[in-house]
Amino acid sequence: MSFDDQISRVATHLTELRANGRAVREFRLPASADALRQGVPVRLGPGANPRIILRSETFIELGSPAAGSCALVLWTGNPALIADGRLTVVGPDIPEAAGASLPFGQILLVGGQELTDAEHQTVAQTQYVADQIEGYMVKSSSRNIWSRVSHGAAAKGFCFETLGRSLMAIYKSSLPKVQAMEVVFVTSSREDVLGLAGMAQEVREIGAEIVKEHWKAKGYDLDCDLDCRSCHDKEVCDDIRKVAAARLRKEKGGSATAAPPARESREADGPAPIGGTDA
Amino acid sequence: MEKHEVKQRALARYKQERDWFAFLLQAAEYMDTPEGKLQVKMLRILLESKQNVIDCVEQDKPFVAAYFCTAPELFTAMDLPWFMIMETPFLAASAPYILEDLQGTEELGLGTDLCTAIRLPIYYIETGQMPVPSAVIGLLSPCDGTTMLQQVLQHNKAWHDVPIFCPDPPYKSDERAINYFANELRQMVRFVEKHTGHRLEIDRLRAVCEESNRTYALWQEYNELRRAVPSPHGWEIGGPQAFGVSQCFRAGDPRCTDWFRQLLECGEERVKAGRGANDYAPEKIRLLWFDIMPHGWIQEFMPWLEQEWGAVLVMDMFSNFPYTMIDTTSEETMFHDLAKRNLIDVPMIRQARGTAENFSGDIIRMVKDYKIDAVIWPGHMGHKDGAATAGIMRETCRDLGVPFLHIGVDLFDKRYTSVDEVKAKVSEFFSGMGLG
Repeated sequence: MSFDDQISRVATHLTELRANGRAVREFRLPASADALRQGVPVRLGPGANPRIILRSETFIELGSPAAGSCALVLWTGNPALIADGRLTVVGPDIPEAAGASLPFGQILLVGGQELTDAEHQTVAQTQYVADQIEGYMVKSSSRNIWSRVSHGAAAKGFCFETLGRSLMAIYKSSLPKVQAMEVVFVTSSREDVLGLAGMAQEVREIGAEIVKEHWKAKGYDLDCDLDCRSCHDKEVCDDIRKVAAARLRKEKGGSATAAPPARESREADGPAPIGGTDA
Repeated sequence: MEKHEVKQRALARYKQERDWFAFLLQAAEYMDTPEGKLQVKMLRILLESKQNVIDCVEQDKPFVAAYFCTAPELFTAMDLPWFMIMETPFLAASAPYILEDLQGTEELGLGTDLCTAIRLPIYYIETGQMPVPSAVIGLLSPCDGTTMLQQVLQHNKAWHDVPIFCPDPPYKSDERAINYFANELRQMVRFVEKHTGHRLEIDRLRAVCEESNRTYALWQEYNELRRAVPSPHGWEIGGPQAFGVSQCFRAGDPRCTDWFRQLLECGEERVKAGRGANDYAPEKIRLLWFDIMPHGWIQEFMPWLEQEWGAVLVMDMFSNFPYTMIDTTSEETMFHDLAKRNLIDVPMIRQARGTAENFSGDIIRMVKDYKIDAVIWPGHMGHKDGAATAGIMRETCRDLGVPFLHIGVDLFDKRYTSVDEVKAKVSEFFSGMGLG
C-alpha cells in the first residue's frame, strides 16, 4: 500500500486554492539534510527544545481546535511523484501573524524507492517532532497538529521556511530511505484546512490497515477475525442486524415489520436478560 | 431483600462513603499548599455530586446510574443527578471498609479471578448497598465483565424492574462507527427522558459542551506542563483527579473548569520555578503507568516510588489526553463528537473496546512527548483484554528502546500481589535496566 492517489489529490487541492485566489508561496529548498540544516536559524536535533513553551512564551499558535487543524503524512515508493525540496505555503506566514492563533494544515509528502509498509508507522510518527526544533512545540493532541512557536524563536526569524527545512532535515536524517520530500502548510482559513479532513480520514483508515498487517507479520492480531463464515456468533449477529434494521425503519416512520427477538433488544423495562421489550 | 430495606441499607452505605470523603476533605483543608487547595476544591465537587444522589434517594427524585464513558455531559444538560456504578473502586478504593467488602465478595461466591472493579459493584447490588436508581445506563464495553454486571443487576430483586438501556458500542472506530454510536446516544437520551421526566434542551446541551470544551482545553494545556523536566506533578495531583473532575462528577460544569484553571496555574508556577513533583526527592526516572492507578494501595506504593527511586509518574492511561473538542455548531455535530469522545477517546474503552492499535500507538506518542524512561504495564487481573496485548506493548517498547515491565497485580486488592512483592519487582527492574 502507499498513498499515491492522495498525493496526486493534494496537487489538485492546491490548484483549487490558487484558483480561488489564495495567496500561495513556493520555496525551493536544498535536497540534502546538511544543507537544509544550514538555513535553519534555530537549533535542531534531539534536546534542541529542552523546555516546554508556556502560554506566556507563545508568539503564535497553530492549529488549535478553535482555529482548525489537519495533518497528513503521505508516503510513496515512487519518489518521482514528489517535487523534492518544494515548500508551499498557502496563507499568512508566522512573522506576519504575531499573537494570532492560525488554522493549520500540514501535509508532508515523502518518497523513497525502498519505503514500504514496514516504515509506515515510523514515517507517520516522525511528524511529532517532540523536542527536536528549538522554540517549536507540537502539543499532545491525538489526530492533528496543534503547535506553538515561542517568542524567542520568532525573534530569531522562525517562519514556515524554518519549519519546512527542519521537518525535511529531520525526516532525511532519521529515515535514510527517504529520498524526496515536499511540504505544504495551509493557514489561509479554517475552511481551507478542514477541506483536507476527508482525505485525512481516508489516510487514517489506510494507515490503520497497514499497521494491522505490520503487527500480523510479527505474529500479533490487532483485529478480531471477522469472517462471518467461521464465526460461532453468526446467528446472534444476524438477529441483531434484523433488530437494528427494524428499529431504523421504525425511526424513519415506517412500521418495523420484523418484531425484534426479545433477547437482543438492549432496552428493558422489566425482568428480562439484557433486553426485553422495547420501552 | 425488600425495596424499602434496600433503600435504607444503600443510603447508609452511600452516606458512609460520603462521610469518608468529608473526612478526607477535612484533612485536605489543613494542607496549606496550592495542591492542597486543589484537593479541597475537587472533594467539594465530589461531595456535592454524592449529596445530590442522597437527596434524590431520600426525596424519591429521579436519578440514574451510569458510567464516565456514557457521555456525562448529557446528564448535566438534563440537570439529572447520576452516579457511576463502579464508583467505589474508582473513587473510594482507599475507604477503610474496602478490604471487608472484598472479603464479602468472596463469601458471596464471586470468583476471585473476576475483575475487582466489577466484583465490588456486584457485591453492593446483591447486598443492597447501592442506591437503586430510576434508570440504568449500562455498559457493553470494554470487557465481558461489564456486560455481566448489567445482567446481575437485572436479576436482582430490588433492581429487576429498573429500566435499563445499554448504548451499543461498535467494534470499529471509523466514521460509520461514530455515527452509529451517536445514534445510540440519541436513543439513550430518549430513554432517559422517558424514565426520568428530565428533558434535553439543545441550547442547554450546547452551553454544557462549550463548558466541557473549556475544561478539556485547560486539561490539555496542563498536560503539556507534564512534559517539562522535571515534571511539575507526579501521582499525587493532576492525573487521576483530572479524569475524575472532567468525567465522573458533573461534566461541563464551570466549577470543574475552574478546578482545571487552578491546576494549570499551579503547574505553571512549578514549571517556571523549575520545581519537580517532590521537593524532597529529585526526579530521576520518568514513568508511564499504563493502566488505572493502583487505587487500593496507592498510598503504600506511589510515595515509595518517588522517595526510594526518584521515579515520578509523569503519565498514566487515565491522564493521557487523546481527546478532541466537541463541535457545538449543531445537534448533529455535538452528538457526533460526544460519540467520538465516549467511543474512542476515553480511557480503557480507547484501548480495549475494539482493535488493539492504541496499545501501541499511545505508548509511542507518550514515550516521545513525555520523555518517558520506563513503561509499567501493571497487568491488572481484570484486564484480560490487555493481557492479550502485553506482547504488543513489549515489542513497541523494545522498538523505542524503553524498558517495559509487566507485573501482574490487582489494582484494588493488595492481597493479590502484595505491595512488598510489587516493590521488589519494580526495584529489580530499575536496577536491571540501569535506571537507578
